[in-house]
Amino acid sequence: MTITRRDRRNRVAFVIALLVAGHFYVRPWLENRIAPDLLLLAMLIVAMRSRPGIGAVVGFVAGLATDILTPARFGAGALSHTIVGYLAAWGRAVFFPDNLIVNAGLFAAGAWVRTLLVLLASGASPAELAGTLLVWAPIQAATTALAGVIVVMVFRNWLAIRLDE
Amino acid sequence: MTPGLGRSLSRSDTLLLGVCLVLSFAALLLPSSWALGFSAAVRATALAPMVWIQQNAEIQRTSRLRLAAIAASRDSAALAAQSLAALRAENGQLRGLLALKQRVAYPTLAAEVLHQTAATDGRTLLLSAGRRDGVQVGNPVVSPDGLVGLVVSAEPYSSVAMTWAHPDFAASAVTENGSALGIVGPAINTSASDAFLELRGVPYRDTVAVGTLVMTSGLTGVYPKGIPIGRVRGIRREEMGWERVYHVSALANPGLVSHVLIYLAREFRPVSPARRDSVR
Repeated sequence: MTITRRDRRNRVAFVIALLVAGHFYVRPWLENRIAPDLLLLAMLIVAMRSRPGIGAVVGFVAGLATDILTPARFGAGALSHTIVGYLAAWGRAVFFPDNLIVNAGLFAAGAWVRTLLVLLASGASPAELAGTLLVWAPIQAATTALAGVIVVMVFRNWLAIRLDE
Repeated sequence: MTPGLGRSLSRSDTLLLGVCLVLSFAALLLPSSWALGFSAAVRATALAPMVWIQQNAEIQRTSRLRLAAIAASRDSAALAAQSLAALRAENGQLRGLLALKQRVAYPTLAAEVLHQTAATDGRTLLLSAGRRDGVQVGNPVVSPDGLVGLVVSAEPYSSVAMTWAHPDFAASAVTENGSALGIVGPAINTSASDAFLELRGVPYRDTVAVGTLVMTSGLTGVYPKGIPIGRVRGIRREEMGWERVYHVSALANPGLVSHVLIYLAREFRPVSPARRDSVR
């Protein structure tokens, strides 16, 4: 059976919609600080399939949504997600992550760098920066990477991800 | 993955990155009122389905996981309510004897807290109640433990509260026994897990003991009098020999609170005798 480009795009859109809905539905059931960030994961999956410029735009949109829902420091989310989206798309081109561990590493690094940039842009104190980056951010990065691995394994055909055996 | 191999950075990629970065910096420099207004408009339109999904998930979680706790609370409340009428009557009589005016009971509204993933989530909270429920900008927000903060933006079905951890937060406060007045605000240079408050502006001559409860004074009219804020943990510093700044541990934790009460009133000033007479 041949899958058209349109079908493939629809399937990717479905997975992204599922992740976005899951982000808002699953969140209340989990401990907030360590719950996987499925919105960031959706953004990374789209960015890794796109050119760096598109990755930056997708990151900007996802970051803006984060800022709108947490307006403690408006613009911090947009800035951090833009940079992470751009780097994810660029990193995809450089690292060829056709390997589950490299994919997981990119998801984890994306989550951790995003938190770092948000805190820096929010003017967090050194103590807050250290506490969050050394304790909570790595845990959230790990859970996000785990969720990412599950998504990649379950939807590898739909996302047209080729993993090395 | 299909794309990627041999992909190079083109001028359009750099341009798109530049545009996004410029827009992000513009958002960072946006005045707070504009940012809140823009956020409120998008939350009420484009992001409304997402807020609705999270709100429903929060309600389902509460109804499933906390049924036993809520039932216990309801039983306790029912038990307390049996003696409430008698206590209220007795309180009224005693206040009458002392020529004190009746305490004003302010209407409140319960709301779920819709936590987000951002590291700055504890500074502002998205609440599940909005203008349709009577919420207005300036309404105080409390949890069962104590003061959480203040509503800074209200849309039809949701609102945003600035918590005590936000750098702009300040509240007029008084100690439990009324011996010391001051301003409570968040301490800077603390980690998120060790965030605490400072009670500033306490005259040097007024000593506040460790463990003293600090509550809202009601003087500025922003918060009603008597909402617990935190407990004094010690002296943080002394300013030029005329003021002491106390370390106060907040009673309510904005990062963990799941349900709050919103006071549906904005002015909490006591009615002045002159105005009371004119009303009569």
